[in-house]
Amino acid sequence: MEVANGASTTPAPVANGEREDPGAYRLKFCTVCASNQNRSMEAHLRLSQANYPVISFGTGSLVRLPGPTMHQPNVYPFNKVSYDTMYKELDGKDHRLYTANGLLNMLGRNRQVKWGPERWQDWQIGIPRTEQGKDRGHAGTEGGVVDVVFTCEERCWDAVIDDLLNRGSPLNRPVHVINVDIRDNHEEASIGGQGILDLADSLNKAATEERDITGAAAFDMASAVSRMSFDEKVPEIIGEWQERWPNLPATWTLAWF
Amino acid sequence: MAATQLSVADQIRQLEGARKLVLKDVSYYPQVIQATLPIIGPSSQVEFRRWGSEFLAEAFATPAVPLSSKETLSLVVLDTLKSLVEDPKQDVLVLRGVIQAAASIYPLAMRWIINNSYDSTTWEKMTAIKTRIRDMWDTAPLTRGDPLDISRNMVPPNHPALDGDQLEAEASGLLDRMLSALEDDTSDPLLVDATLNTLSILVRQRPKTSNRIISTLFNFNPLKLATTGPLTPKTKVLVKSMEKTTRMLLTHLYRRDVHNPLAGRMQQYVERLVRSRAEIFDETGRKRAMIDQASAVEAKRQRTTTLSSQPQIEITPLKHGENSLAEVFTFTNNEGLKKFSVSDTIPAPLAAKISIRTISQLDTEILQRAINGVRARLAAFHEAHQQPINPETAPLDVEEDEDDYEPDYYAAEDTEQLMNKLDASPTDERRDLQAPVLGALALPAFKLPPPPTLDPEQAARVGQGAIARVFGTMQTLEDPATKKSKAGLNRLAASSYDRDSWITVITRLATRANAGLDEISIIKDEDSTLALPTVSMSDSIREMLYAYVLEDFRKRIDVAVTWLSEEWYKERVQQRFASSPDQPDGTPANYEKWTLRLIDAFLPYLHSQDKILTRFLSELPELTVSILARVNTLCRDPSLVNLALTSLYYLVMFRPPVRNIALDTVQDIWTEYEDARPTAAKYLQRWRPGFVEAAQQGVQGVQGAGSTPVGTNGTVVAT
Repeated sequence: MEVANGASTTPAPVANGEREDPGAYRLKFCTVCASNQNRSMEAHLRLSQANYPVISFGTGSLVRLPGPTMHQPNVYPFNKVSYDTMYKELDGKDHRLYTANGLLNMLGRNRQVKWGPERWQDWQIGIPRTEQGKDRGHAGTEGGVVDVVFTCEERCWDAVIDDLLNRGSPLNRPVHVINVDIRDNHEEASIGGQGILDLADSLNKAATEERDITGAAAFDMASAVSRMSFDEKVPEIIGEWQERWPNLPATWTLAWF
Repeated sequence: MAATQLSVADQIRQLEGARKLVLKDVSYYPQVIQATLPIIGPSSQVEFRRWGSEFLAEAFATPAVPLSSKETLSLVVLDTLKSLVEDPKQDVLVLRGVIQAAASIYPLAMRWIINNSYDSTTWEKMTAIKTRIRDMWDTAPLTRGDPLDISRNMVPPNHPALDGDQLEAEASGLLDRMLSALEDDTSDPLLVDATLNTLSILVRQRPKTSNRIISTLFNFNPLKLATTGPLTPKTKVLVKSMEKTTRMLLTHLYRRDVHNPLAGRMQQYVERLVRSRAEIFDETGRKRAMIDQASAVEAKRQRTTTLSSQPQIEITPLKHGENSLAEVFTFTNNEGLKKFSVSDTIPAPLAAKISIRTISQLDTEILQRAINGVRARLAAFHEAHQQPINPETAPLDVEEDEDDYEPDYYAAEDTEQLMNKLDASPTDERRDLQAPVLGALALPAFKLPPPPTLDPEQAARVGQGAIARVFGTMQTLEDPATKKSKAGLNRLAASSYDRDSWITVITRLATRANAGLDEISIIKDEDSTLALPTVSMSDSIREMLYAYVLEDFRKRIDVAVTWLSEEWYKERVQQRFASSPDQPDGTPANYEKWTLRLIDAFLPYLHSQDKILTRFLSELPELTVSILARVNTLCRDPSLVNLALTSLYYLVMFRPPVRNIALDTVQDIWTEYEDARPTAAKYLQRWRPGFVEAAQQGVQGVQGAGSTPVGTNGTVVAT
């Protein structure tokens, strides 16, 4: 089944995943999973490597990582414990176990991306984010808002929508919330990250095209409704993307910050 | 000046520099806005207008700027916004920013005119912007957040610029227009979603509109698009999106307001939506399934035809994951046969007879195939076991309980794993089944060899094997279909051989069977060299009970209560018969130890609606300070504060003997967790009046004097 996923796109492989294209228009993204550890962080890294402004969150009540048995998860509060601290703690607890299940590798990556897991529900949307200058993908997110939110699991999408309904759209700012369903392991997160980057590229292309229409091509107000804006193109873009990534089922809505 | 030399890109970069400055320190907003207004005006290049309108939208949206400064600033920018929005050829992105900014400014302007009725020019500008936006019939509904609430009730009757009735009429007209997005047959899904996602705040803050909105929702069919045209990838996205957004909104509304008379209907509507959605998307799924099935049938037919010439035995590869030894040797697909345990039901001599008869009549080819099959399975099994854990595919999702999320605990898989472990470990137990070696054909007098002597460790292991088998039997017993009527006091424990009986047997084995023996031997043999098994029999049974309960603690909490009650009872009895009163009480505190372990194990899995904790606490035979202290730790998760406090409050209300320690715990929670204070204070007010005030004074006292410790202060007052 992995064969079909993204088969038709395969973007030109880049040596280190970094992309050079300064000055171009960039949509601002946000990635969300349950614990802000695996899926959202994989996607955060990929989007930042492609120079997109990106921030990330988790919607769970606590950060939960696998422990020695199913009944002994490692549990941390959001916003208070850094990836580095978790890395050191788990490394000290059982180096072999946490190397074997990939946790140390994951935390090692995450601490290169940002300080620690953040909880979606605690995010003060629209408060400037100027303190997070060292986070990957920070450039462009200083205003504390984004254009598109990617969630990695249906219940995270539900939590985000419910939270936005709760907040009551105080900012008058539309935001596309798109769920891309990804199973929670490293392999699937990596595939899902590619899928999200592909979708981000497609969305950004449409948004850039919209911005390029100026001057002579400036649209006539009378036909404003018939003109396809970026927002209107989003469902079509997701539909096409879904054809390329049949194993990453997507859900979308236009919500408000 | 510099504008003539600098490129557009460079100037935008300078503007971005100014923006970064205000994001770092919002007090610069007035200066920066004043300075940039001339640059972003209607005659500027589109890049500057776009930047400017986005900048203004951001400035008036961000919660970082205080409302008072926003109000002042709004008076400054209205002219620019008005001229930008009135340009008939305005760029769409500029319009987007202007509309967002205007929507944020509208309540500010309205509050301003309410209190400064002389300033009709400002209100006229705002009205002009509003009219222009409405004339475009655009997508920006004007909705508001709390601190900016405006309502016609705030408008005095004789206001020179505002006419309440007119505003009311206008508002209801606007609402109609917004809702028409859901009523028109040809609605744009983007508008539908955008509208749906603004309605929750309206229903909440303008209850008057609630009926109108909800009845519109009832008449809206988000799945209609699927029935009118072909299901292209795009329509699939659209239909799913509208259906899910509608469902989220209704769920959100009835959850927030369960007493709403329409809540029941909303719930029904949501359920109906889920069903129709499943039908629509299932149909396509089913078609595919039919095709798949057809090919599968064909594949099967082929296989059977090739097999028909072969002996009737189908060797399937072992299923993925752990397999028991029995499964390795099993070739039947018959579930009943698989479960049939020869060793339990058929006496060994009879089994031997049957085996000999069968083997002698067996077709050698079949036997050969079976042996090869087992060999292949063992080889595959061996290979699979050498595979190291793959960090790439190891699951990372630790199940957690969200309010609306019920994870399944994969109990079935777990049970299987546990059984396999049990299957695999006590190999010694089968030693007695070893066939005796026959010397000659004539039958000499045969004596069973004496049993090998068991050292304590072996004995313990055999014992554990026996217990494991009881657990095994118990797990295969189904839940009784109907609740039997209780036999009351006259019932005999463990007389019906159902699951409950076995639980009773096991718990009593753990608690009573060798009560007192474990401890005595430990005391006596402390210095002796005799090696005792490191884990006592009782403890290993307890360990298994513990695992059994945790496998599915929600269902098995009654097992936990039964078990812990037995522990408690045994300790009571033992204490009563404790030898001499002057000797320190040597009975081990198993009750408390295992209660704490169980609580610790399931606490991380509780969610805010769980009744299991309240039930567990109320059914435990005895509660101690340390048990309740565990409940205290729940409050680390803000979403569980209420659960912890209501569980404790239940104890306060209905278990008077522990009322005091429960209240102490509530006090501790009040002291430790600031989030929990409002609710904790409410409970304390009734039962410990004076505590909160005293504690608060204590806190202030500490802050003032910096000397008195809070904790002692609080508890001294309370006791």
